[in-house]
Amino acid sequence: MQVNVIAFGQITDITGRSTITVNDVTDTNELIQKLHSLYPALANTKYVIAVDKQIINENMLLENNNTVALLPPYAGG
Amino acid sequence: MTEKKLKNIFSQGAIPASFIAESIQKHSSKTGIGAHSIFLGQVRSDAINDKKVAAIEYTSYEEMALEKMYKIREAIFEKYDLTCMHVHHSLGRVEAGEISLFVFTSSPHRNAAIEACNETVERIKAELPVWGKELFADETYQWKENT
Repeated sequence: MQVNVIAFGQITDITGRSTITVNDVTDTNELIQKLHSLYPALANTKYVIAVDKQIINENMLLENNNTVALLPPYAGG
Repeated sequence: MTEKKLKNIFSQGAIPASFIAESIQKHSSKTGIGAHSIFLGQVRSDAINDKKVAAIEYTSYEEMALEKMYKIREAIFEKYDLTCMHVHHSLGRVEAGEISLFVFTSSPHRNAAIEACNETVERIKAELPVWGKELFADETYQWKENT
């Protein structure tokens, strides 16, 4: 099982790329842990996550090919 | 998500003043309108530690932003007696002094147009996944944050 992670804004400065494929994670908590071990600076960064464009505030089971977006604070306008 | 036509609000670069003028002109045939309200966001040249912002480079999670904008639009039309609403947001580089956001609401009466415009601008700033990189003249940058 794989999920597609997309990074935006200042988070791309940390990841150095805008898309990351992560394998073998069952839920969003596990995914975040994995990302924080890959990119330690993420742990000190403010962001929310969206699974298939829906912002989630609690742990959520992931399915194959979900797209998880890492969204730092918005700055439109 | 059900099939629906999501209006694209994004375009590359600054929003020209001529585009805004043409948008106003296009409404002359809608004679039920009695009031327009327009908000224009302009890139401000903030000074940060002696360096001035030369431009902002905007990026977005476009698919999510357009879905969110659709919901905002629906909610605003439900709440206010509007004839129409138009929203345009820049992506890519916009120089200081240029326009990056254009929100245009029209209604039979001024209160609805003004309040709907304000609320739409506030919701765009708070809810649309858009980011701005503030570029300095020396090619360094910082990420913009909405206050």
